[in-house]
Amino acid sequence: MSTIDTGQRRRSGDSRPVIPELIDEATIRSIAEDAWIALVGEEEILLPIPGELPDDVLSSWVDVVGPWTGTVVLTTGRQTAAELTRALLGDSAPEPLEPEDVTDAFGEIANVVGGNVKAALPGPSALSLPEVGSAPAVRNPADVCRVDVLWRGEPLTISVQGALPPLPVPHPHENGESL
Amino acid sequence: MKILVADDSRVMRQIVIRTLRQAGYDDHDIVEAEDGADALAKVSSEKPDLVLSDWNMPNMTGIECLQAMRSSGSSVPFGFVTSEGSPEMREKAANAGALFLIAKPFTEDTFREHLDGVIA
Repeated sequence: MSTIDTGQRRRSGDSRPVIPELIDEATIRSIAEDAWIALVGEEEILLPIPGELPDDVLSSWVDVVGPWTGTVVLTTGRQTAAELTRALLGDSAPEPLEPEDVTDAFGEIANVVGGNVKAALPGPSALSLPEVGSAPAVRNPADVCRVDVLWRGEPLTISVQGALPPLPVPHPHENGESL
Repeated sequence: MKILVADDSRVMRQIVIRTLRQAGYDDHDIVEAEDGADALAKVSSEKPDLVLSDWNMPNMTGIECLQAMRSSGSSVPFGFVTSEGSPEMREKAANAGALFLIAKPFTEDTFREHLDGVIA
């Protein structure tokens, strides 16, 4: 009996560790709790209770590129992201909030949480600038460490997820569009 | 005393400025810069006494700004306020001539700890 070597295992980087081998949920939760207390407010508690995300969600994330490569993604309801922005801005929060305020504030929370996750992982590694929008897809369910919390009763998830295997990248000129 | 706060996040600049006030440094002039290139320009035009800068910014990073400042002969005290506080980043910051690195998230106590003696 023989096995055909397709190279799939090598291509998927099987020498790289997956995230549950490098960081646990308690560490991620502790990083997020510290970020919330410092940025959102001293009384702001993250309860370690999963909740059901609403249909209209917003994500913010940063990429970590190094011995472990992946993304630190925060996801919550769009309305909760706006409330977080108001909490960060405090008295200087404009009314109504502009979408760029939410992009800035929610992205900065991902930046702080992601920077501290990066520091807990093997280095050297680099951190991207934050992005806000629809969450990047999970590539490998075994390379994910996810924490579910409630903030002011609203659900929020923090997912540290690997970037491998890469998704197919369409040729930029394939359909005449470039994005 | 004039303090230049550089961060590409407007929200984070506000939080840094708020924390400076909460830490008791509330009678200083604050100038804001939205990236490293803007900070470098304002070091020349505004002549701050201290630069507090994020690390990861578009156009020019904080460390590139610091290196450009030192290359041009500027010895303005410079500290990082960044989400990346690993020993490796602290070493890079110190080697480039930064006085300190405050890791985000920070508190007013963290600010006092690093800024007492730097801010008159």
